[in-house]
Amino acid sequence: MVVYTKFILMDFIQNLNFQENEVKMLSIIKSMSLQGLEGFLIDVQVDVSAGMPNWEVVGLPDVSVKEAKERVRTAIKNSGYEFPSRKIVINLAPADIRKEGSFYDLPIAVGILIDFGEIKEQFLDKTVILGELSLDGKINHVNGVLPMCIEAKKLGMKRVILSQKDAEEAAIIEDIEVIGVETLKQVVRYLNQKEKINCTKTDVHSLFIKEQKYLLDFSEVRGQENAKRALEVAAARIT
Amino acid sequence: MLARRIPSILPNLTFEEALEITKIHSIAGMLPNQVPITTIRPFRAPHHTITIGSLVGGGKIPKPGEISLAHYGVLFLDELTEFQRSTLEVLRGPLEDRIVNISRVNTSLTYPCNFMLVASMNPCPCGYYGSSEKQCTCTAEMVRKYMAKISGPLLDRIDIQIEVCPVKYDKLEQKQEIETSEIIKERVNKARKIQIERYKTQGIYANAELTPKLIEKYCQLNKGSREMIKKAFSQFNLSARAYSRILKVARTIADLEEKQSIEEKHIAEAIQYRNLDRKYWK
Repeated sequence: MVVYTKFILMDFIQNLNFQENEVKMLSIIKSMSLQGLEGFLIDVQVDVSAGMPNWEVVGLPDVSVKEAKERVRTAIKNSGYEFPSRKIVINLAPADIRKEGSFYDLPIAVGILIDFGEIKEQFLDKTVILGELSLDGKINHVNGVLPMCIEAKKLGMKRVILSQKDAEEAAIIEDIEVIGVETLKQVVRYLNQKEKINCTKTDVHSLFIKEQKYLLDFSEVRGQENAKRALEVAAARIT
Repeated sequence: MLARRIPSILPNLTFEEALEITKIHSIAGMLPNQVPITTIRPFRAPHHTITIGSLVGGGKIPKPGEISLAHYGVLFLDELTEFQRSTLEVLRGPLEDRIVNISRVNTSLTYPCNFMLVASMNPCPCGYYGSSEKQCTCTAEMVRKYMAKISGPLLDRIDIQIEVCPVKYDKLEQKQEIETSEIIKERVNKARKIQIERYKTQGIYANAELTPKLIEKYCQLNKGSREMIKKAFSQFNLSARAYSRILKVARTIADLEEKQSIEEKHIAEAIQYRNLDRKYWK
């Protein structure tokens, strides 16, 4: 009982401190999600406030999204930032569409770090952030980057920050700045404009022509002329 | 062996087609590591234990299935008779529509699935029914049951059916040059160009897309070939669908030879690609 009271008391004092040098309570980061073959824009709203240390994700998240909190907390800690115990509420808007996937890790982490005052927000205008975090703060590959970037461009977004591994795929879309990053720390430094990252460019058309060779060949098959003929007819009639 | 090589004779992808495939493969997490874009036509060969969900797409938030992953490419079903019958039947709609509509309580999604279906199977459990090399050891009932695993409507949608015989030893020894994929592809490309040119006012690209009205216009037969198809129709007990499909295949064969009109030999070859179902599925 004594220990418990002490804990509440300490937290109360911490909260008082927090309210004093509070930087920001709410931050909204733009991210993307998938609906079939189409991407759509998601607002990741992160609110950090005084209260019982608790973490809530709302907006119809599935298990992979709910698990984000453990990855984000550990990744932030292991990247060398402080993680004070606060009440954190995360809303993925629009809240009536089911969300799945691990691409919200990075926007959530960035949102929290903005609320903690580690990141200045001004550089986030028209910027889409997506990526999965690993516990050591590295940013991992996610699926579906291309359709998400197509939609982001359609919506007039200027910049997309994602894993270095996905940057080439995203760069297929022209006229959008693709920032490939490797660690959470790098993202923070980039957003605080302490580090410059060149945007990724792919010359996808020349790559496309170069890589078109199919490795197997009909000349490796002896006999079976009637089957080959049938396949030729089949190949000649479809779109 | 042959099926795996089909993409090598299909025409190169256009950039737009490649982007569409890349989108699907990106969502499924199947993009190649070295290049950010799919550059060759996909070849998908799922094992026969595949479920309905993974074939046409499924899940709480539906993911694309094998038929969508084979978009603009080849879906190869090896040992067709071993697949669950219900699994195969779901292919019927997508084969006609070239899209698949997946509905769940929360979402309804449409994935494209314009693929070439290629399948292989044995004629009976022992594999020698109808063979001239070895006696089949199966009873008539066993053969019937084996064949009954493939439904008539599905078979009706398969335009080209052939029997493949084992290769003779002296064929393996032969040193003579075999046609490369490139040469075949050239012919295929030529035939396609003819089709695109012919249908440019109709809003379609290929013979496979011909509607009944367009068939009437573009697949006119001379007297001899009409007689021939009439005979085949009654003799093989063909369906109306099979009839129009024979005409379309004949049109393609004529295009491959760069002929304006469909001749008897083209019809004959097209009919010959259909008679397998009449031989085994009685």
